[in-house]
Amino acid sequence: MNSEYVVEMKGICKRFGGISALKDVNLGLRRSEIMGIVGDNGAGKSTLMKVLSGAYQADEGEILIDGQQVHIRNPHEAFQLGISMIYQDLALFNNYDVAKNIFVGRELVRGPRGIFLNKKSMYQKAEDLIRELRVDIKSPRMSVASMSGGQRQMVACARAIAFQSKILIMDEPTAALGVTEASKLLALIKNLKEMGLSILLITQRIPDILAIADRVFVLKGGQRQAILEVSQVSLDDVVTMIVKGKDRNGEQHNGVEYKSFG
Amino acid sequence: MNENQPSSTVKTMLSNLDLRGLKKYTVILILFVLMALFSLVSPYFLTWRNLSNIITQNTYFIIVAIGLSFVMIGGGIDLSVGYQMSLVGVVTAMLMMVYDFPAWLAVLAGLILGTTLGLINGLIVTSIKIFPLIATLATATVYQGISYMISKANTFRGYPEEFLILSRGKLLGIPLDVILAFVIAILVSIVFTETVFGFRLLALGGNEEASRLAGIDTRKMKIAIYTICGFFTAIATMVMISKANTTNSSFGPGTEFIALTAAIVGGISFMGGEGRIQSLIAGVLLLAVLGNGMQLAGWGTYSQYIVRGVILLGAVAFDEYQRNAKRIARIGK
Repeated sequence: MNSEYVVEMKGICKRFGGISALKDVNLGLRRSEIMGIVGDNGAGKSTLMKVLSGAYQADEGEILIDGQQVHIRNPHEAFQLGISMIYQDLALFNNYDVAKNIFVGRELVRGPRGIFLNKKSMYQKAEDLIRELRVDIKSPRMSVASMSGGQRQMVACARAIAFQSKILIMDEPTAALGVTEASKLLALIKNLKEMGLSILLITQRIPDILAIADRVFVLKGGQRQAILEVSQVSLDDVVTMIVKGKDRNGEQHNGVEYKSFG
Repeated sequence: MNENQPSSTVKTMLSNLDLRGLKKYTVILILFVLMALFSLVSPYFLTWRNLSNIITQNTYFIIVAIGLSFVMIGGGIDLSVGYQMSLVGVVTAMLMMVYDFPAWLAVLAGLILGTTLGLINGLIVTSIKIFPLIATLATATVYQGISYMISKANTFRGYPEEFLILSRGKLLGIPLDVILAFVIAILVSIVFTETVFGFRLLALGGNEEASRLAGIDTRKMKIAIYTICGFFTAIATMVMISKANTTNSSFGPGTEFIALTAAIVGGISFMGGEGRIQSLIAGVLLLAVLGNGMQLAGWGTYSQYIVRGVILLGAVAFDEYQRNAKRIARIGK
């Protein structure tokens, strides 16, 4: 628990057939930090995050959670380690309401051997969560089928934090949202940070990163280009790094390599 | 578009209506309308004798439809249930009639066989990963073939009394098979609405990939639902052959179509993720009332096929309409 980083990924390599999707990638995520993950299409952003969330397994490299080496073989194991990923397509259940969506796979139970649902507790806890997150959802009994993209993102967030996930991975959360909904969601993400979550945010929208992230991690061609302190860079700096790749000197810190502008 | 425009308001109202509530009671409403209509057409329809006949003649359809509902709610389909009945029926009958097994042992063997046939379906669907429709169409043919090979196309009749009690026995004046169907319906309804298994089953049918990402073992769930379907199909087979007091390999096939139609009419979505036992039973009874009423009205058997086909089409179209309405409502936001 003494590690500065809640997550460390070291020397991660991932190949699909003959194609190297990730080459020796290192990443360190601090506690209560929002880190933007950026890069062009095919840069390896989603692949890297899927390795962390257990959807893919790395061919090489290691992952440390709170300084302890872990082996994540599937999303369930990742979840047990406190890692939740909110996918671009959200992975929600249109046939269920908000409360049920939050608890699928991690139901609150009662009775012998826990075979019965504790619906009362599920709805109560869902209501508490909605209130705590201050999100734009009127009732835990609202069906998600007819919800807007922003509301669905908020349900996905509530689902992730309902079970004390400490690391939240979000894949393009604002991609399909309008300006108002996107700003509400960004406010929610900042709120989650204040609640103590560490957040990895994949996005193509660099202004979003500059608005809420602490650092930004740049990938290109499956290789890490830089980790930049948001307070020290401009939009142009980030775009240049995405397009041209690394052109600055690196530095070592706690075994995790860093690059920064400034 | 301005949110205050009339079309937007109508769209919002439609999405809030959620059509699910409508669908929940439509089938029951249609059932009562049909009963009222047939009571006008035939004086014999609305008699206690006729109505109780409709129920007792359809207990095994209800049980098969309940079994099939597990698979359909989970997003699958099983076209082999009628052929499972053929095979389970002749094996159970032969054990009693040819090999002199006691009735209880023959029934037990039949139930184990039916459960195994369902398990085989589940293993094939999950291992070979082909469409359940094709997989179960193939196993249906295999089961039918085995049934004829075993029975050698013979008919087995005149079962022992202890077996016939299943359909002829009564408790407090109510036939045992009606009680059996009722108890199964209540238990399964509790499973669907109150248990973790039922909750995950509806989730599986609603979004299989999301279920997997939520940590649900979707393969095990799928194997389980086909196996459960096989078990209930075997129970239904016992009721069917006990009721007829005879069987051969042609008993069973065709049941899958009625059960499937009843399930869809009863609001079990063809795409999975939705379904209620009360509506399912109403769906079975609706088809039964239709058949009975048309018979009493003198419209003959063949026109019933046409009506059933049209009803199936209508129910699937309504299901699809409902899904599209929700999708459009979401896009509109």
